[in-house]
Amino acid sequence: MAKSMLIITRQAPWSGLGPREALDIALAGGAFDLPLAMLFLDDGALQLLPAQQPAAVQQKNLGANLQALPMFGIDELYVCGSSLAERGLSDTPLALDAQILDGAGIKALIDRFDLVVTL
Amino acid sequence: MKFAIAVFAPAHAPSSRRALLFAQAVLAGGHEITRLFFYQDGVHSASSNVVTPQDEQDVTALWRQFVTDNGLDAVVCIAAALRRGVLNSEEAQRYGRTAVNLPAPWELSGLGQLHEAAQVADRFISFGGQ
Amino acid sequence: MATLHVLSHSPFTDGRLQSCLRVLGVADGLLLCGDAVHALHTGSTAWPALLEVAQSGRLYALDEDVRARAIAATEQVQRLDYPAFVQLSIDFDKVNTWL
Repeated sequence: MAKSMLIITRQAPWSGLGPREALDIALAGGAFDLPLAMLFLDDGALQLLPAQQPAAVQQKNLGANLQALPMFGIDELYVCGSSLAERGLSDTPLALDAQILDGAGIKALIDRFDLVVTL
Repeated sequence: MKFAIAVFAPAHAPSSRRALLFAQAVLAGGHEITRLFFYQDGVHSASSNVVTPQDEQDVTALWRQFVTDNGLDAVVCIAAALRRGVLNSEEAQRYGRTAVNLPAPWELSGLGQLHEAAQVADRFISFGGQ
Repeated sequence: MATLHVLSHSPFTDGRLQSCLRVLGVADGLLLCGDAVHALHTGSTAWPALLEVAQSGRLYALDEDVRARAIAATEQVQRLDYPAFVQLSIDFDKVNTWL
């Protein structure tokens, strides 16, 4: 039976390769049908802000690629509720259908997976 | 026990040296290293172009020696490497770039190799950041 | 499942320690290396949050980093060399490094 992997992404978009390279890990695993989930934590929650315009800084649309995750079989998507609240995003409709978790929920999530990578 | 070890930091970061010392301790403890996988800025830990002052450690050379001495499977992520200008001769030729800075024993490959190693090994550990 | 969380950033400039403590399970371990060992200064603002983890024997530090920085860590902090680090990664079910 395949080991499951949780990918925790903690960086804001448009300021480095972290978000894209975290996503690439997910997509590569999805291509192998591995059981995967992604958690958007801390500044990673900012990747889920709707209606972002990366073209304004001449970058590719990461959001569109995130939307493709379910097509790769990755539909377990989570976001940290505290991270949203800290950033004033608790009432903002998110760009991705991610389940909001509190600290206890994240603890349980991490426990559930065989492998974790946090970038 | 089998270990898959991923390195996300360049040679000048303490975490690259830390990963190397951990990897050495894995083998010294009688365990196996399934694969070393260099991702993100970790591709720079495989560079053959780093020049360190004589009174400092050349961690890139130490990694090369370690991999060669132990016949390890050492993979550098091709997508991460290309973005950061770490190319072997094949890729330099393919893209018409002037410098080759990824030598043997490193192999360029995809993230599938990271996943395969993590699936096969008993423990998967990453080193990076600082 | 018990996870060993690994931190290497200074707790004073970076949010990783705070986020990690929020998701640290009761059986999880915390290994400090690199600049993260500065959280072991007992008079610092970072140390109180680590007390419970330390008292329950789940706080570890890479010895070379503590010595390099001449930190007077308390005895509750388990200092590790590399062989012990390897063993710890085996004792826990998985390792989560906060890159």
